Order: sequence, then structure tokens, then C-alpha cells
Amino acid sequence: MQRDKFFREIENVRHPNETLVKTHCAYCGMQCGMNLRVNTQTNKIVGVEPRYDWPVNVGKMCPKGVTAYQQTNHDDRILKPLIRDDASLKGTTKGFREATWDEAYDLVAAKFNELQTKYGKDSLSVFSGVSMTNEKCYLTGKFARVALGTRYIDYNGRFCMSSAAGGFLRSFGVDRGSTLPWTDLHETDCLFIAGSNTAECHPTSMFRVWHVQERGGYLIVADPRETPIARRADVHLDLRPGTDLALANGIVNLLIQNGYVDEEFVNNHTNGFEETKELVKEFTPEYTSQITGVAPEKIILAAEIYGKAPNAIVAFARGIEQHTKGVDNVSGYTNMALVTGKIGRPKAGVATFTGQGNGQGGREHGQKSDLLPGYRKLTNPKHVEEVCQVWGITPEEMPQPGVSAYEMFELMEQKTIRGLYLLCSNPAVSAPNQNFVRKALKGLDFMVCSDFYLSESAEFADVILPSVTWSEDEGTVTNLEGRIIKINKAQEPLGESKPDWQIQVELAERIGKGKYFSHLKTAVDVADEFRLASKGGNADYYGATWDKIDKQDGVFWPCKDENDEGTPHMFLDKKFYHPDGKAKICALPYRPPAEEPDQEYPLRLTTGRVVFHYLSGNQTRRIQFLRDMCPEPYVEIHPETAAKYDIVHEERVRLFTRRGEAVYKVKITEAIRKDTVFVPYHFGHEQSINLLTIPALDPISRMPEFKACAAQIEKLEAKKVQ
Amino acid sequence: MKKRLYLELENCIGCRSCLAACTQCGGHEQRNRNYVYDVNPLVNRQTMPLMCLHCVNPACARSCPAQAIQIHENGAVLSALVEKCIGCQNCTIACPYGIPKFDTEQNLMYKCDMCIDRSKDGIPPMCASVCPSNTIQWLSDEEIDAKQKQFNLNNGKWVTSMPYLENETNVKVNLPGILQGVTKLF
Repeated sequence: MQRDKFFREIENVRHPNETLVKTHCAYCGMQCGMNLRVNTQTNKIVGVEPRYDWPVNVGKMCPKGVTAYQQTNHDDRILKPLIRDDASLKGTTKGFREATWDEAYDLVAAKFNELQTKYGKDSLSVFSGVSMTNEKCYLTGKFARVALGTRYIDYNGRFCMSSAAGGFLRSFGVDRGSTLPWTDLHETDCLFIAGSNTAECHPTSMFRVWHVQERGGYLIVADPRETPIARRADVHLDLRPGTDLALANGIVNLLIQNGYVDEEFVNNHTNGFEETKELVKEFTPEYTSQITGVAPEKIILAAEIYGKAPNAIVAFARGIEQHTKGVDNVSGYTNMALVTGKIGRPKAGVATFTGQGNGQGGREHGQKSDLLPGYRKLTNPKHVEEVCQVWGITPEEMPQPGVSAYEMFELMEQKTIRGLYLLCSNPAVSAPNQNFVRKALKGLDFMVCSDFYLSESAEFADVILPSVTWSEDEGTVTNLEGRIIKINKAQEPLGESKPDWQIQVELAERIGKGKYFSHLKTAVDVADEFRLASKGGNADYYGATWDKIDKQDGVFWPCKDENDEGTPHMFLDKKFYHPDGKAKICALPYRPPAEEPDQEYPLRLTTGRVVFHYLSGNQTRRIQFLRDMCPEPYVEIHPETAAKYDIVHEERVRLFTRRGEAVYKVKITEAIRKDTVFVPYHFGHEQSINLLTIPALDPISRMPEFKACAAQIEKLEAKKVQ
Repeated sequence: MKKRLYLELENCIGCRSCLAACTQCGGHEQRNRNYVYDVNPLVNRQTMPLMCLHCVNPACARSCPAQAIQIHENGAVLSALVEKCIGCQNCTIACPYGIPKFDTEQNLMYKCDMCIDRSKDGIPPMCASVCPSNTIQWLSDEEIDAKQKQFNLNNGKWVTSMPYLENETNVKVNLPGILQGVTKLF
């Protein structure tokens, strides 16, 4: 973009007595560059200044980014370890007392030891997250397997990115969220975006999205709601929640029927074309329309535009991934790029909008129940051997694969898991079927939670360890492009808080595993060990040194050694990561969501984000500006549907499913399907929409179906009359 | 090269980043000075920002009995001077866009000053810096001329920075309809 150059030459404003620390945002996968303003007398973060020279966002920020700095010195910070002696108060904010680190560590070590002695190694579990640096994600995996020796570790990416990972692994043999850098986005000729409310969830992509249209390119959006991006799309495919695979098959069928297949590419670089061609034949525009509810003409037009476009990018997000067929949806849409050969070159490819800050890096390095650093597999003896050498343990000592995030709550309920170390996550808001999950957390024998605020999940803990916000530590994060970037420290940890890697090292020492951890004295030490542990894996970070990241504006993995500049564009040589070097075009039979509407529950409930909040809202709900803009959840309903229920704008109604209920304020809008209602998921306690969502899991990614279940609405006063 | 604020209303995604960023400007005392409206909230998600257009002959300044509202050499219409403002609120009534805000505690008007400590040195105001959708841009006159050529379709449906109400403004505005002048690539 011409204006990029101008932006990159802008000088920053420097206020008196302030210095600027360049870093990236605390929140989503865009990882927008920003400068934190630090007062040189108090050494505290006081504000934000755009980072015009960062190539991905050239200074632009969303309201979360602008106010992110307010987290660090927030009044709600936990400044000392907290212990709760009265377990009957679990599930409330009551009963915590301040303690020293020594007392907290001693208690945690003793309780962990007691449980493991009584019930075995696997009675402990680790539930983590990916809104933290690669170094922390890496060490958390090592801590679970080496310090605790438990098989039960998993993370909140199961509620976020795991379907994209599963789909990419199947289609390409490798899971890098975007096959091309974001700076290509505005130069493509057609953007096909499915299940991404880009304007609210990844706002700083929008100037590139609009630029495609300003150049005369096309924007196609598949979404049950007319989101701000769908409002201006050339084609809006307004499908029923949970029917993406039919739409993808329908479009692939049209691409094949209408001569848009790149035969040279398909023959030489892919497998599976013939089976897929046979399978999608059934998905005529009419049949696809019956399933999806999208008019046949729109499906035909979308396929025609995508097929004709010299370059096109298929992009998607949680809207297609948080389903019991999320992995199939990903591979299904990826098929569009593979049959037409619109991949493996600049300005054409496939991308997922990564939800969490380090959703990409955090899933690659061993927090997932079946993975080890460098995207290695626990089930592959060679991979285990390689990691054991770095960790200094024997393959026999390496725990077996565990279970996925939601399944851990099932094991807690069954008392297989009795202890939990929770960090960087808030499953008491973000997991589906909250009534069950909260009961499971309450029933634990012992729970320790590391957080910088008292989250809804921390309310279930016996011990809370105060961790730091992102700007009080340093390390790397891998953004949604697959670009490894550097988070810099802007102030010293507030109060007695400590970074999670330090907590884990010190806790390991208490548990008697110091010899595997004590050499990690700084974030740099962890980074060095982490790069070594990833060496030789698919996600190879060995060559991505902090110096190189600084010099090159980030490093795209894989980056194998000192001389490797990294890999901004994947598959330029048309070599994919399956053993035969070919990509897989997947023949995917359609199946409906786990729970379809019926007479009793006639509406489709779907959930998502608003621009003002991030994930469970534990951070953003505490920021005054963001809370003012969106103080509470609401249910979006089409006016015709609302009329049927005799409900009006801003009335409070009871929304319920087979699993739970909640009361929400009604927001009437024509920008949603008549058969669908929408509620944002950022809110806790009785406002949580996850009281209602279904814990049906994708068979491959174990992703819950947050995006489609059957629901019903009831007027509040009607209930009173009865 | 002199740059101006340029608003392309069609691009707005309603994120209110401009409001959040407004508080970050050095002279703004953490208070935002602009507005974002839902255009038709029960129907669709069209939104639009409304900021001071920095009129060349501003009604706020004309209406001020104390001459408290100064115009900077770069065209920015500034907040009322603390020492001169008498708190009469004439300006809030005179402005056809409803821009000036009033602090009842300080008895003082405050408004968008185009982030004067930035724009005086050619640095884009905070709102234009952060706007993720390119609704609020910071452009040279040549770039704005090119936009006018591209978008001025003369079809009577929409216009580019017309002399509405207060005649010439330093901020240029494109009303919804930006894509009408675009020729499709294929």
C-alpha cells in the first residue's frame, strides 16, 4: 500500500519525562505493534503511542489495543500470593488471605505431593493458555511432564485454534495459520472470508480488506450475521450456523463443474481430487441452498468470482472452526484453494484469523495433550527421544498423551483428576456447558491458579499465585501470520508478582525437580532452551534469535539456522509437508451440527465476540472505556422473530437450552438470520452464554461446538403470570 | 507537506478506537472529544464517526463573546482558552455538528483540537493514527484531489466535502458510497 511507506516514516511524539518501549498488543493474534509510554521517574507504564513502523498494522490499533496498557497498573492486580483455608468458600471471591511466596509454594508442593502419593502421578493436571509467550508455553509443557510427571496437560486453544490446526495438518501436512504474510492481503483480487467477524475480532486487518474493494477486487463473506464486514461484501453468503461444510462442498463443486480447476497443480501437487469431485457432485446450488439457507444465485456468484480471480485468499475463523466438524470445515474451504491452485504464491493462499495472541506459537510447543516442542508428537518415539535429550529425561519417564481441555473436566468429575494448576486461562467462563465445568472445578481436592486478576476461575482456587501482565516480562510470540515477534518488558513486575516461567522454575525446585529447571534464571535462558527443543521439528524456531527478530521485523517460521531468514510465504516450491510432498484435497461428507433445532428448541444459538472485549473478558471487562462501551451481554434477534415472541428492543428475556439458561437484554437487528440468535461470550457468572452451549466435540480437534446449538426464548413476565 | 484529516464514512466499522485514542493525546487530559454514531441500529451495523470538521470560518468561534476559541495556523479550531472562556456555552449551541463539549465542573468548553501537539508537526492526530478501517485518514491535498476525482460521480447521490452548513472545512468528508466509482478488476 502506498500509504504504508508514509506511515513508516512518521516520527513518534515524545512527551517530557517519558520513554517509549516498542512492543506488541496483549490481546489477539494480530499482535499489533505498539509503543508503551513509560514515565522515566516512576518507571511505570502511563500510556500508548502508535508504532507506525510495524509492517502489519502501521500504527493502527483497535480500542482494546489502545487501552491495553491500563491492565498493568490496574487496581484489581493481585500483588501477593493468596491462600484460602476454607474450601467451602470455593466458587466465591471470599476467604482469601495474603501469604508469602514461601508459604504458598510450600502448600502447593505439599498438596501436589499428597495427591500424587495417594492417587498416582496423573491425579494432577495442568490447564494453560496461549495468551502468553512461546517461552512460557514451552516451559508449561515441560513443567507438566517433567516436574509434575502427569499426562494431563491441555490448554484453551482447544476452544480456539485446534480445528484450524487439525484441518491444516490434514490438508497441508503442516499447521501454519497463514500461508502468506498479512502484507499480501490487500493486494489480492478476491478475499473469501468465512466465519470471521473480522471488523470486530481482528479490526486492524480491515484497512487491508477495504483496500481490496477500493482496488476493484471482490469481498465474499460467509456468516449467519450481517457483520460490519458482511455489510459491505460483494456477496454475503448468509448461511445457517453449522452448515459451512455444505457451502464449501457446493462451491468446490461449482469450481470443478465450471472449469476453474488448475489441472497441472492438481495432478502434480495434490492427492484426493477424484474422490472429492465425486463426493461434491451431489452439492448442486439447489441442494446446497436447501442445507445452508443461502440463495442458489449467491452461491453461484461467489464460486464464479473466486474461480475467475487471478489471485484469491480464503480466510476463516472460529465461525467455521468451533463445530463438531470444525476440522472438516477447514479442510473443506481449503479445498477451494487446492482445486484451483490458488496457493503457494504471493497474494494467494489460505489463512485462519488466529484468535489468541499466541494461538499459533502456543499450540506448537507442547501444551497440547499430545504434542511436544517443535510440533512433535508424543506418539512418535523418535520425536520423544529428541525432546528427552533436551530435557535430560529418559523416554520411559515421558508421560503418555492425555485428553483434551473439556475432557479434563470430565475426568475431574470422575475424580481421576484431583488437582489442577491453572494458568493463563479462565475456563469458568470460556468452556462450554458451564454448569458441569463449574461443578468439576468446585469438586477438585486442590487447585492452584496463576493470574494477575481474580478471574471467575480463580474463584475456585485454594491458592492464587500473582503473575505478571504481558508488559512486565519479555519473550516471543508467533502472530497470526506465523511471524515470530518480540514482546519487550516495559516495567518491573508490580507488587510481588512474578512471570509464570519463574513461578514454574521455583515450584519445580520445591517439588524436588530443580535439576531440570534451576539453570533457567532469565527469560533469555528459557528462550535458548526452547529454540533448541524446537530444532528439527516442523515448527522449527532454532534460527529465530531475538536479534534477528529485531532486525527483520519478525521471523516467519520455519527458520532452521542462523543464516535462514525464515519463510514468509509457504509452499512457494509447491512442496507440501505430507511425506509425498503433496497436499490433500479432502472428500468430506456433510453432517449436521450435534444438536439441530426442533419444536421444543426451535432457534439456533450462536456465540462470538464484540470488538470491545477479548476472550473471557477477565482483562477487558476491567478497563473502564471498554466496559462503558459494552457493559453486559445481550441477545441479538431478528425483528420478525422477536415479534413472534412478542418481545421488544432492550426487554430482558430468558434464553435457555437443554444445558442451562440465562437472562439477556434483547438487541433487535435485521442483521441476523431469522432462525438464529447471537450472544457474545465474554461475560461470567450468571451472564455467561456458556451456561447454554453444548459440549459436543469435534472427533479430531476435540473442539466444542460453540457456534451452533438449539435454544428457546421466553418472556420474563410470562413466567411470572404462570 | 501539509496533511489534512479526511473521513471516508463508508469504511467505519464502529470500533470506537478513535474515541479511545483521543484520550491518549498529550493535551487531552484523558477525555475524548469526538463521537461515533450507529446510523440505523435496528437495521444494520453502519456506523460513522463525527469529529470537528475544523471550519475555515467556524460558528463556535464566531459565537464566542469572549474570543476564547482560537484558530491555529494549521487550521485547527482549538479548545476554549482557560483564561478567556466564560462558560456561556454559546459555542455548543452554535456548532451545527454539536461538537464542543462542556465541562460543568471547570466551567470550560473543550473540543477536538486535531491533536495540536501532533498535527502542528505533521504527525497524524491519534484518531487518524489508530483508525483500523481507514475511516479517518491523514492525507495530503494531492491525495484528497485524487480521491475527489475518483469518487465525484456527479450522480446527485453523494458528494465529497460539500460546503454544507458552514461552507469550507479543513477536514474533508466522503459520505457513504465510496465504492460507486470503482471499476471492478474482472
